Formats: sequence, structure tokens, C-alpha cells
Amino acid sequence: MGDLQKKLQELSDSYQGLQGELGIAVEARQRLESQQQENTTVKKEFDLLDDDANIYKQIGPVLLKQDKTEAVMSVNGRLEFIEKQMWVEINWHGGSCV
Amino acid sequence: MASRQGQAQGGQPGQIEITSLPVPQLQELKTQLDAELTHLSNSFTSLRTAQSKFRDCLTSIALGLSASTAQKPLLVPLTSSLYVPGRLTDHEHVLVDVGTGFFVEKDIPGARDFYERKVKDLGESLKDLESVVQGKAQNVRVVEEVIRLKVMNAQEGKGEGQGS
Repeated sequence: MGDLQKKLQELSDSYQGLQGELGIAVEARQRLESQQQENTTVKKEFDLLDDDANIYKQIGPVLLKQDKTEAVMSVNGRLEFIEKQMWVEINWHGGSCV
Repeated sequence: MASRQGQAQGGQPGQIEITSLPVPQLQELKTQLDAELTHLSNSFTSLRTAQSKFRDCLTSIALGLSASTAQKPLLVPLTSSLYVPGRLTDHEHVLVDVGTGFFVEKDIPGARDFYERKVKDLGESLKDLESVVQGKAQNVRVVEEVIRLKVMNAQEGKGEGQGS
């Protein structure tokens, strides 16, 4: 009887642990999704611009003029990074949850 | 938990599955649905606020930037309590915040078009969210109804037991 109790306790503990991990993974995924959404919007906006349009990047309280190609590259780079992060999260947490 | 998952796999909250649940679990389910509903309603409000901010941008472009205001002296805030006099240098172009710290210089029609697009996109998201909220509210009502029935039945059963 005590053996069963112990097993039950162990299973319930591991279940709670998994739930906690799931919560963390969901939070991270939400954060990444919203960043991805924002960067996709910026990318779409840049695609609509002419090459000579002025783009400014906000660094602290200052706006610095940036080249369109540079800005497009940095936004694309950020999007790729976010995608990679998402795959890392899915593989890591998905594996441990399953 | 297992019964709730079974319910999720059933697709809709089928009457069959819910009525087979005991009351405490039903109440837990209702609490969970209520929490989801609150979260969704908050998101709805945030989207509404964002949409109204973009509308404000549209109005300020329409009202503030014209050939007449370009010559009027203005007071420009340096901090929330310090203003300096200034003048609009350019009333044909504006800097629009497109997100992630990037600002784009646009002419007035372009900026107006940008904000109108944003308002439209938000409007669509709001409509989708509204239908989801209504669906959830419906679920909550159904679960509440079932809880009420169960409690009534339980009380009737107790009453009969005591009567006989």
C-alpha cells in the first residue's frame, strides 16, 4: 500500500514538473510569436518603401539615419533569429513533455 | 483533468460529456473558462485602445499639418514639464513609427495610408477576437447551467432521502 502511495506521489510530482515546463514553454512561445509578428510587420512596411526613402533607427532618445538595405538586413536577421529560437524551444520542451 | 481533455477532443463541449462530470470538476472548469474569458476581454480592450491611438494619429495629421500651421510658432516638449518654442520645418513629411524601433519618413498621403491600413488590420483582429469571446462566453453559460442542474438534482435527491 505504501508502495502504491509512493508511486502515486512520484507520478504526481513529475506531472506537476511537466506542467511547469509547459507553462514556461508556452510563455516563451508567446513572446517569440509577438516579436515575430512585429518584425514581419516592419519587413512588410520596408518592402513597400522606395529605395531612397529615409529610415531612422531609434537608439535611446536619438533617431539615427539608416540605409534601407541595412535596415532590411537587420530586420531579416532578427526574424531568422526568432525562428531559430522557436525551433529550439519546441524541440527542447516538446521532447521533454512527450 | 482527463475528463476535461476528453471534452477538448470531443470538439464542442458536448452536453453528454459535461453532464457526466461531478460538480467540483465542473466548478473548476467554469473557473478556468472564466479566467480565459477575462484574458481574452483584456486583449480585446488593448486592441481597441491601440486602434483608437492610430485613429488619433490620423486626426492629428489631418488637423495639424497644413500650410497654415507651418508658419505658426509652436511649443515643443523636451520633457514633460519643459517646452521650447519652435516651428514646423516640414509640413509635407512625417516620421512614422513602424515598430521595433524603426521610424520611416513618409509624406502625408503615405502616412495617412499607413495609419488607415493599421486601423483596418486591427479592426479585423477585433472582429475575430470578438467571435472567440462570444464562443467562450457561451461555453461558460452552458457549464453554469449544468452545474445548477446538478446541484438542484443533488438537493432533490437529499430531500427525498430525508422525506422517506
